[in-house]
Amino acid sequence: MRNDLRDAALVELRSRIVDACIAQAALDDGLPLDVLINDTLYHEKKRLETDRESPVRAQDAAFWDGVKSRLSKAGDSELKELLKGIVERFTEEIRGNFSPWVYGMATSVMPKALPLLLNALSPKRLMSRGMPDIAETINIRGNVEGLRRMNELGTVILAPTHVSNLDSPVVGWALFAMGLPPFTYGAGLNLFTNPVMSFFMRNLGAYRVDRRKTAPIYKDILKEYATVALEMGQPNLFFPAGTRVRSGKIEDRLKLGLLSCGLRAYINNLARKQDRPNIYVVPCTLNYHLVLEAETLIDDHLRIQGKSRYIIDDDESSRPRKILQFTQNLVNLSSRISVNVGDPLDPFGNAVDPEGNSIDSHGRVIDITRYVSDKEGRPTHLPQRDRVYTREAGESVGRSFKVHNVVLSTNLVAFTLFEMVRHRHRDLDLYRLLRTGDEGTGVTVSELTRHVAEMWDAVAELARKGEITLDSRSVSSGDATVIVQSALRHFGTYHTRPVMVRRGDRVFTEDMNLLLYYSNRLRGYGLERELQRALAEAS
Amino acid sequence: MGQDKRASVIGGGSWGTALAHLMAASGADVRLWMRNVERVAEVNEQHTNSYYLKELPIHARVVATTDLEEAVRFADTMIVAIPAKSFRSIAFEMGAFVTGDQILLSATKGFEAEHLKRMSQVLREETCARKIGAISGPNLADEIMAGQPTATVVASPYDEVIDVGARLIAGPTLRVYGNYDIVGVETFGALKNIIAIAAGACTGLGLGANSLSMLLTRGLAEISRFAERHGSDRLTSIGLAGIGDLIATCSSPLSRNNSLGRKLAEGLTLDGALATMHKVAEGVNTTNAVHMHAERLGVDMPIARGVYQVLFGGEKVSDVLGTLMSRANRYEHTERPIDEPEPISGSVVETALAVAGRRHG
Repeated sequence: MRNDLRDAALVELRSRIVDACIAQAALDDGLPLDVLINDTLYHEKKRLETDRESPVRAQDAAFWDGVKSRLSKAGDSELKELLKGIVERFTEEIRGNFSPWVYGMATSVMPKALPLLLNALSPKRLMSRGMPDIAETINIRGNVEGLRRMNELGTVILAPTHVSNLDSPVVGWALFAMGLPPFTYGAGLNLFTNPVMSFFMRNLGAYRVDRRKTAPIYKDILKEYATVALEMGQPNLFFPAGTRVRSGKIEDRLKLGLLSCGLRAYINNLARKQDRPNIYVVPCTLNYHLVLEAETLIDDHLRIQGKSRYIIDDDESSRPRKILQFTQNLVNLSSRISVNVGDPLDPFGNAVDPEGNSIDSHGRVIDITRYVSDKEGRPTHLPQRDRVYTREAGESVGRSFKVHNVVLSTNLVAFTLFEMVRHRHRDLDLYRLLRTGDEGTGVTVSELTRHVAEMWDAVAELARKGEITLDSRSVSSGDATVIVQSALRHFGTYHTRPVMVRRGDRVFTEDMNLLLYYSNRLRGYGLERELQRALAEAS
Repeated sequence: MGQDKRASVIGGGSWGTALAHLMAASGADVRLWMRNVERVAEVNEQHTNSYYLKELPIHARVVATTDLEEAVRFADTMIVAIPAKSFRSIAFEMGAFVTGDQILLSATKGFEAEHLKRMSQVLREETCARKIGAISGPNLADEIMAGQPTATVVASPYDEVIDVGARLIAGPTLRVYGNYDIVGVETFGALKNIIAIAAGACTGLGLGANSLSMLLTRGLAEISRFAERHGSDRLTSIGLAGIGDLIATCSSPLSRNNSLGRKLAEGLTLDGALATMHKVAEGVNTTNAVHMHAERLGVDMPIARGVYQVLFGGEKVSDVLGTLMSRANRYEHTERPIDEPEPISGSVVETALAVAGRRHG
C-alpha cells in the first residue's frame, strides 16, 4: 500500500477499534474497559514470559509495566487514554514501508533471487550462482484475464492454496508478471526475521502479523486493518488455509478470517455509497513438482495424526544446502511451479460474469446488495448471518481449489505407486504401512507404467468434466512412460532420501512418508477406488 | 402487525394449505400458489381445499393464485411444499423472480432421487436465495387444521430464518423449535417415510405394540446411521424432526406412507396400492433413492432394504419380515454380530493369545 494511503488506513483503523471498544463497554453485557485492558495486559505479559527472541522485548515490557501502574488508579478518561495507547502500539508495528523504487528494483531482481530470498542465507550469497529464470519456472495459467478485470472493477482478495514458504514470494512475483500492483498481506513475523527477506517483504506490501500475540483486541486490529485496506481499494492476498498444508492434500478446511473482512468491507462500501463497492475473491492454486519443505511438513502431519504411534528417527539436513539443491533442480529438471488462477467469486461465493456481476447457477444476474439490506433497503451488518455467508463463500473457494488443482507428474506417479504398495499390504493400517514400505521388493517399471496410464485416463476424464486441471507440460501428453520418467527424475535428486528410485527394471520406494505426501495431492477425487479395483483385477 | 408480514406458499397440497392457513392466522397476508384453476377458485370463494382437506375452513387472508411470479414477488418469505419429484423444476421457475433478501423454507419431506439432494440444497442451486431453511416435525396436516396442539422445527444456519419462520407459523396450537442442523432435520424428515411404510405393513399384518416398537427403534437406529454419515447432528435424531416425526407417522392412520404399508401387507401391489390414494407417498421415491445410496456408501439399512424389496422387488411383506428376523444377533450400538470376535488391536501378545483362543474355541 502507498505510504499516504497506509497512514490514512491506520488513522481510520485506530478510531474504529477505539470507538468499538468504548461502544461495547457501554452495553449491559459488554466488557468494561478496565477488564478489556487488564485482559490484554495479561495476554501480553504471558507472551513476554516466553517470547525471549523478540528484539523489542524490553520496550514491550516497559510499555506494559506502564499500563499496569496507570491502570490501577485510572478513571474513565484515563482508561480511554490507555486504550488509545495500546491500540496505537499494536497498529504501529503493522506498518510496512512500501517504496515504489524498491518495488521496481525487487521485481527485476526477483527472477534471479527468489529461491534464496526465502531462507536464512546472507545477502552476499544472494547474487551468486546460476539461478533459474523464474519466468521459465513459474507457470501462470487459468483465468488471469478475470483477475485483471476484477482488479479494475472492484477490489480483489487473492486466495491461494498454501504449500510452502515459497508461496508468498511466488505469488508476489506472479502478480508482477501479470501486470498487477502489489497486494497487501499479513505475513508471520518469522518471515521478517531474516534481513533480506524482511527487506523484500516489507516493500512488497506485506505487513507484520505476530502469531504469538494472543490478545483478542490484537486479532480484531489485524482483521479490521485488512477491512480498511479493502475499503480503500487496496487488493489483498490471503492464504485461506492459514498455514502450510501439512499432509500435502488440497485444503478443504479453510480459515475464513479475511473472507469475512471482504464481506464487511463490502457492506461498509455500500453504506458509504462508494463508487466501486464490489469485492471479488479470486481463488488460486499453487502446485510444485517438488516441495521445498515436504519432509518437515509430512513428518509434522504424521506426528499430529498418529500422536504417539509415530516416531521420527530421521533429521533433516541443513537448510542452505537444501535450498541450493532445490534451486538447482528448478534449473536442471525444468521443474515447475504452477500458479493456476481460478474464476472470480463475490463475497457470498457466487460466480461472477466478465462485467463483474454476480450470477446464479443458471447465469442469471443477482442483485447482491439484497443479501445485506434490511427491510428498508439499507445495508446492514448482521454478524450471525454474515458468518454463514462467509462460510458458504469459503465452501466455494474450496471447490475452486479442487477444480484448479494441477496434476503434476510427481503427484500422479506417487499416487499410483502408493496405492500399489497399499494394495499389496492391504491388511496393514496406514502407520504400519508407512513403516513397512515396499519391503525392498519394488514394482516393475512396466507394471507401474501400466497403472499410471490407467490413472492418467481417470484424471483426464476428471479434467474433461472440469473437476481437476492437467499440467500442460509434464502430464498432458498422456504418455505414461514420459510421466514416469519425469517423476523419477524429480524424485531421485532433491530429497534426503529419494522418494522412489529405479534400479534395473524395478522401481523402489525409499521414503514412504514422502510418497504419501506427494500422493495426497490427488486425494478427494475418488481415484483410490478405481485404482484399487484395477489392482484387484490384475492380481 | 398484519400489513408488514407478507408470505407465500408454493404448492397447495394438504401441508402447503395448512401452512398458508397457519401464517394467515398469525397475521400475515398470504398467497397460495397452485396450478389447478378450480381449486384456486374454491380457496378464494369457499375458503376450503376439499380435495386435500375436506371441509376444514381456511383463513380468509389466504389468497390462492396460479401466477407463480405474483406469488414470489408478493412475499418476504416463501414456504415451498411441492412433491420432491417436481421440486426442482418449480424452484427453477421461481429462480427467475427470487431476490437475495427473501427467505425460502422447504416443507417437503423427501430427497431428489438421483444425487440424493435435500430440498434446501435444490432451492440453493436453483435460486439466488441464501436465507434458506426447512420445516419438519410431527405435523399431520389434518390434525393441525383441526386445531390440535403440536410442535415443529424450523431449521437453518441463519438465526434470521429461524426467527422469521417461527413468527410466521407459530400460534396457539403450534409451538416452534429452532435447529441449526438443517442436514439432520431434512434427512430425518425424508427417511422416516421409509420406516412409516414398514410400520403400516406391521399394522396390516395385525402385529402389536412389541413389533411396532422394535421397528421404530431399529428404524431410528438405521436412519440415524445414514443421517450421521451425511453430516447430521446426533441429537437431531431424538428431537421433534427425528423420533418425534417418526412416532407420528408410524402411529397415525392419517399418514400416507403408513396407509401405503398397510395396503401392501393386505396383498396389494405397489401400483395397486398407489391407485387407491390421491396424495403423494414420498416414501416410495425416498426408499428407492436411499436404498441405492446406502449400498454405495456402505451404510447398513436392513429395514430400508426390506421395504425396497416389497415395493420394487415384488416380495411379500411376511417373507421380508422373516428375513429381517433371521438376521444375526448384534451388539445394539456397534452393529457387530454377537458371534463375531472382537477386532484385533493393541499389543502383539494379546493378539497372539486371542488368535490361539479362537483356534481352541
